[in-house]
Amino acid sequence: MVSILYRVLIALLSLIAAAPMAAIADVHVPEHQRIVLPNGIVLVLMPEHNVPLISFAAVLRGGAAADAPGKAGVASLYAGLLEKGAGARNAFAFADAVAGAGGSFDAGADSESVVIRGQFLSRDHALMMELLADALLRPRLDASEFATLRQRQIEFIKASKDSDPKSVIGNYGRALLFAAHPYGAPVAGSVHSLAGITLTDVKAFQHDQIGSDRLTLVFTGDIDAAGLRKTVTDAFGQLPRAAKAAPSLALTSSVTGRRVLLIDFPKSVQTYFWLANVGVSRKFPQRAALDLVNTLYGGRFSSMLNSELRIKSGLTYGAGSGFRRGTVPGEFAISSFTQTDNTVKAIDLALATLDTLHRDGVSASMVDSARAYLLGQYPTRLETAAHWAGVFADLELYRLGPGYIEGYGPALKKVTESDARAIIDADFPSSQNLVMVLIGDAAKIRAAVAKYGPLAEMSFDADEYWPKH
Amino acid sequence: MKYPALCPIALLAALLFSSASAADLLPGRANVRSTTLANGMKIIVWPSHDIPNVALYNYVHVGSRNEAIGVTGLAHFFEHMMFNGSARRAQGEFDKLMEAQGGSNNAFTSDDVTVYQDWFPRSALELVFDLESDRLGHLAFVPSVVESERNVVYSERRLRIEDSNQGTLTEQVQSTAFAAHPYRIPTIGWPSDIKAWKIEDLQNFFRTNYAPNNCTLVLVGDLEPDEVFALAQKYLAPLARQEPRAPLRTIEPDQLGEKRVTVERKGQTPLLYLAYKAPPPTDPRFAALSLLLTVLAEGDASRLHRLLVEDKKLAISVDSYLQEGFDPGLMWLLLALPAGGDVAVAQQALDDELARIVRDGVTAAELRRAKNLSATGFWKAVATIDGKARLLGEYDVIHGDWRGAFEAPAKYEQVTLEQIKAVALAVLQNRHRTIGVLVPTSKAGEG
Repeated sequence: MVSILYRVLIALLSLIAAAPMAAIADVHVPEHQRIVLPNGIVLVLMPEHNVPLISFAAVLRGGAAADAPGKAGVASLYAGLLEKGAGARNAFAFADAVAGAGGSFDAGADSESVVIRGQFLSRDHALMMELLADALLRPRLDASEFATLRQRQIEFIKASKDSDPKSVIGNYGRALLFAAHPYGAPVAGSVHSLAGITLTDVKAFQHDQIGSDRLTLVFTGDIDAAGLRKTVTDAFGQLPRAAKAAPSLALTSSVTGRRVLLIDFPKSVQTYFWLANVGVSRKFPQRAALDLVNTLYGGRFSSMLNSELRIKSGLTYGAGSGFRRGTVPGEFAISSFTQTDNTVKAIDLALATLDTLHRDGVSASMVDSARAYLLGQYPTRLETAAHWAGVFADLELYRLGPGYIEGYGPALKKVTESDARAIIDADFPSSQNLVMVLIGDAAKIRAAVAKYGPLAEMSFDADEYWPKH
Repeated sequence: MKYPALCPIALLAALLFSSASAADLLPGRANVRSTTLANGMKIIVWPSHDIPNVALYNYVHVGSRNEAIGVTGLAHFFEHMMFNGSARRAQGEFDKLMEAQGGSNNAFTSDDVTVYQDWFPRSALELVFDLESDRLGHLAFVPSVVESERNVVYSERRLRIEDSNQGTLTEQVQSTAFAAHPYRIPTIGWPSDIKAWKIEDLQNFFRTNYAPNNCTLVLVGDLEPDEVFALAQKYLAPLARQEPRAPLRTIEPDQLGEKRVTVERKGQTPLLYLAYKAPPPTDPRFAALSLLLTVLAEGDASRLHRLLVEDKKLAISVDSYLQEGFDPGLMWLLLALPAGGDVAVAQQALDDELARIVRDGVTAAELRRAKNLSATGFWKAVATIDGKARLLGEYDVIHGDWRGAFEAPAKYEQVTLEQIKAVALAVLQNRHRTIGVLVPTSKAGEG
């Protein structure tokens, strides 16, 4: 839909003879304006008029990293309350105004930011700006809404355990891997931490962490750039800086050796597992080579992990791996699940596959295949104005330039077999150095999984994501 | 679903529209072309040149609706087997070849259809035709591969059903709601059947259901209809037409009273699901019913969310789903309750509100909101080549004509308050519903 988003250089080759790389687009960041307002707010405007929609992203640097120890969930509750009444509207009136225009308005937190994303028909741009300004500048933070939201968030954790055990396994894993570092805390809180959070905590978060110095506003799509610039300046020009400094994140460090956490889920029919160590940050310079190796190891259907655990052995419905990249290194994690009786077989195979990667590396033809895959899929992630709103928000949050987007394709094209070897050696953990988290029927697997390393155990019903000491 | 990368068990989402003029403005819609090969395969092409990629959807007109006792889950099993090799290519080659030229793929199965999806750079177009033709014409049935994939499917069942209270209750309600019609069959299959399929079952099923005259192919992206039709002639026209499957005879008899199913499983949060018998998309009331469901349960401003979650705090979430298939299906209301929540109290509050809707209808503001949500839903759907391909496929296969996708906006915009009230009265009948309750228990011996 968005022809201006791409200046596509298509080789004039016949369909039949086309090599995989021949028709790959060189992606350029679309024309846009980046404006820094006098109070420090960064405003990004990218007009694109093919469909009558405006997409926006409002990003506040900070997020759950500012949650005090034992108070995991404060930033998340703050974000949730932004939709629960602001300005002249109570919670229902706010939701009604959004839906009444057919719009969307979703606020949430992650480790390093609070983000509001949404889309409105362009005819409703004034309403969109009013709602956004109210939410960011005049949230009601109502006591009754807070109590309801906090209780719902607690209940959602319980409901997730009842119906989707693998959706919470990362919370246990990150707690074990990162310990007291903010990356180790569950962004949405735990049953225990949420119970201890008060509205005073949320208001303190707003006072300390919300301000012009850490706000980025992005608008893409069917916008009037000049008009929006004036509207934003009028609405947000008086927003003061936050009272306290944004949280700074200490460097994370890898673990050596193995630690095993077994979470007892009696009567479960599968074991869910998550094997991880500390990986790389957003600014990791060899991103293209890293993505390429991970594509081969656990990032696509024919990956080594999925081939071994699913295609060849039928042990699981799916196995994969990935890097979570923040301002500082997040985790590299392997995850899968298998029938309880096959727990050791599947985990052994996952570890053996990691050993194979380290021993054999990847061949030149594998590098070519992964390169073509990443280049071929890249345009679909940058197809719409809404995609670009997210991209611009990330570029600002992690202080990355347009080269992060535009340099990716050229960097991928240059990755060699020896680049991949260097990445495997330096950035993929040894199978001997992993935290290993298992959710399953402990009575059936406890004895067998003790071989992996020192074992701690806790109940899946526990109110925290780590065992009591 | 082939791979757990996307959404949960595939259900064809209802795409709603609300503005005829908006759809008329859609860039490129006048360039959509379709043809039917001599062997009966239909091909629809929508050129869209904004990114150098293509989305291909192959709608195979078979789902769990076409299964029988003893061989439930076969349609879904085929969705897996179609990636497992042909007479020309070994297991795994399909994905390796496609990925090496920049493509990815997935698939999903519903009660009504099995859908194969490829997303690839245009340079891989001919390869994709070759791969699709090969697996339709020469699928391999290697016993060891069948056994391995049987385990993969069972793993998917464990993930979605056996380790999931939501999945278990959904399966129980669906199989209770229908007395005769095969919509009672869970798409993933009953455990006994997953364990017992034989190679002959697979071969028979494939011959009939994967014939070219049982497929609709949709391509959207950086291509032109003529080049697609030429490739189709080369790769797909040689596939042999098969005798069409006998039409499904069974019509679900009228439900004579409310049904109720209770499931006791280990857990913390109770669930309350209501499934009402509902008309199919070809029914003239379907647009009104879609909008009614939006009013009831879409978003934080919806009637039931506001009442049950925000005001009375009897539920932590209210979701809904309207089945879009060939035959009359189900309209679902899905409530999750807080731990210790009282199902009877929640159901009473829900029943009181539904009775109010039947008596008073919805407000003009609520209907306007539902229509506006539909309008933005349309624009979001057509913002990507993937959304466009899915839209054309759903309309052509389920609704009968891809052109309906562009006519639907007017249909939704014209829905009146009176039509909403009439469809509420017709559908929200206790005697036509099935209630499912999940009672969580902490007892070690249960669940």
